[in-house]
Amino acid sequence: MMGARGERESLHQEKGRERVCSGSVTMGAAISYCSPQEVLNTAICGDDGNGPDYMHLPCPAKYNEITREAYMSLKPELFEGLRFDITRPLNNKFALSNSLFMGSVGLPGNRQSKAHFELGADLVDQKGKMDIVLVMGRVLSDARMSARVKYDVNERFSIKADAQLTNDPHFTVGMFNFDYKGNDYQAQLTMGNNAYYGVNYMQSVTRTLSLGGEGIWLGRERKSNMGLAARFKTDTVCHNNGMQIATGLMKSEGLISCTYVQKLSDKISVASDFVYNWENGEAITSVAYDYLIRQCRLRGRIDTNLCTAAYLEEKFSSGLTFLLSAELDHRRKDYKFGFGMTIGD
Amino acid sequence: MAKVEPVGKNKMLKEWPTWVLKKAKTATHYGFIPLIIFIGMNTDPKPQLSQLLSPV
Repeated sequence: MMGARGERESLHQEKGRERVCSGSVTMGAAISYCSPQEVLNTAICGDDGNGPDYMHLPCPAKYNEITREAYMSLKPELFEGLRFDITRPLNNKFALSNSLFMGSVGLPGNRQSKAHFELGADLVDQKGKMDIVLVMGRVLSDARMSARVKYDVNERFSIKADAQLTNDPHFTVGMFNFDYKGNDYQAQLTMGNNAYYGVNYMQSVTRTLSLGGEGIWLGRERKSNMGLAARFKTDTVCHNNGMQIATGLMKSEGLISCTYVQKLSDKISVASDFVYNWENGEAITSVAYDYLIRQCRLRGRIDTNLCTAAYLEEKFSSGLTFLLSAELDHRRKDYKFGFGMTIGD
Repeated sequence: MAKVEPVGKNKMLKEWPTWVLKKAKTATHYGFIPLIIFIGMNTDPKPQLSQLLSPV
C-alpha cells in the first residue's frame, strides 16, 4: 500500500484503534489492513508490487542436480541380497571403508549370482567450511577400480576428475569436469575419453524459476545430443506450504521427464515423476514418499508398470544402520529383497 | 589403396600419447589407493599403523 507521497506505510488495527506506523502524515492515502505476518513476508520476499529484483537472483542448482531432491525419494539405493559396509575414520580427514556384497542379478529364470568385496579410501582436506580437496578411491575384488578427485580452486571454480578403470580397455572411462558458479548461474564443461565433450548451463530467471540447457558431442560415434531444463522451486518463507520443486527436462535423444516433490512437513515429503520416451512411445509415472520416523527413514514408491519398492534405514545409537530393501515387479513376477548393515557413515 | 605404416620417428610421434595414457592408466590402477593411504597417514593428527591394519 503506497501513500500519496510514495512513502511506504502500514496501518495496524489493534483492538479497534488505527495507528499509522510511519512518522509522517500523508493526505489522501488509502487505508487497508496488513497483518504483521504479511509485512514480514513483504520485507523478506520483496513482493511489494515492484517485481523481483533481477540484479540479486539466487544461484540455481547445477544442471545435473535439478532433480536431486525428487530422486532422493523416487530412486533409493535398492539392492538384492546381503550388503555389509564398514567405514573407519582414522582421523577427521582420512577414512577407510570395507564393503561386502552378495546377491544376484538378472531376469527371473536367468539369475546370476554376483558377489564382490570392495576396499576404499577417502581423503578430505578442508579449509573453514569449504572442502578444498576430496579424493576417493575404490577397488573391487574383480580388479575394477574407481577414482575420484575434486579440487575447489576458489569459491566459484572447481575441477573434478572421475575414472572407472577395468582390465578390459574398452570399458575404461575417464572424465574431467570444470564447474563455474556465478552469482545467478552455474556452468559446467565436461571432457571425457572417446572424444566426449559436454557443456551445460543453468540461469536463474526469477527468484523461483531457473532455466538451462546442455549440449553433448560424442566424438567416436559422431553423434550430438541436446537438452533443455527448467526448475521451479518455491521459497519456504513466502508460502505457508512446505518446499515445492517442479522440474522439466527434454532431451533430443527422445526423452521428456517431469518431476515434482513437495515437503509436507519436516518429517514427510512426497514426490512423483513422469518419463516419456517418444522414440518408442513408452511412458512411466511413479509416486513416492519419504517418511522420517525418529531414527528411521522409510521410502516407498509405486509406478505404472505395477512395480512397488520400499527402502528402510534404521539408525541405532552405536553408529550401526540397519537396511531393508524390497522391489516387487508384479508384471514380470520379479521379486527382490535385500538386507544390509552399515557401520559408520 | 594400401595403408602406409608410419616409419621410425614419425611412428613414435604419432603413438606417444597412446603409450603415455596406457602407462598412466596402469599406474593409476595400481598406485592410486596406496597414494591416498600414504597421504592420509601423513595428515594431522597422524594415525598409527595399527589403526590402519586393525579391523576395528
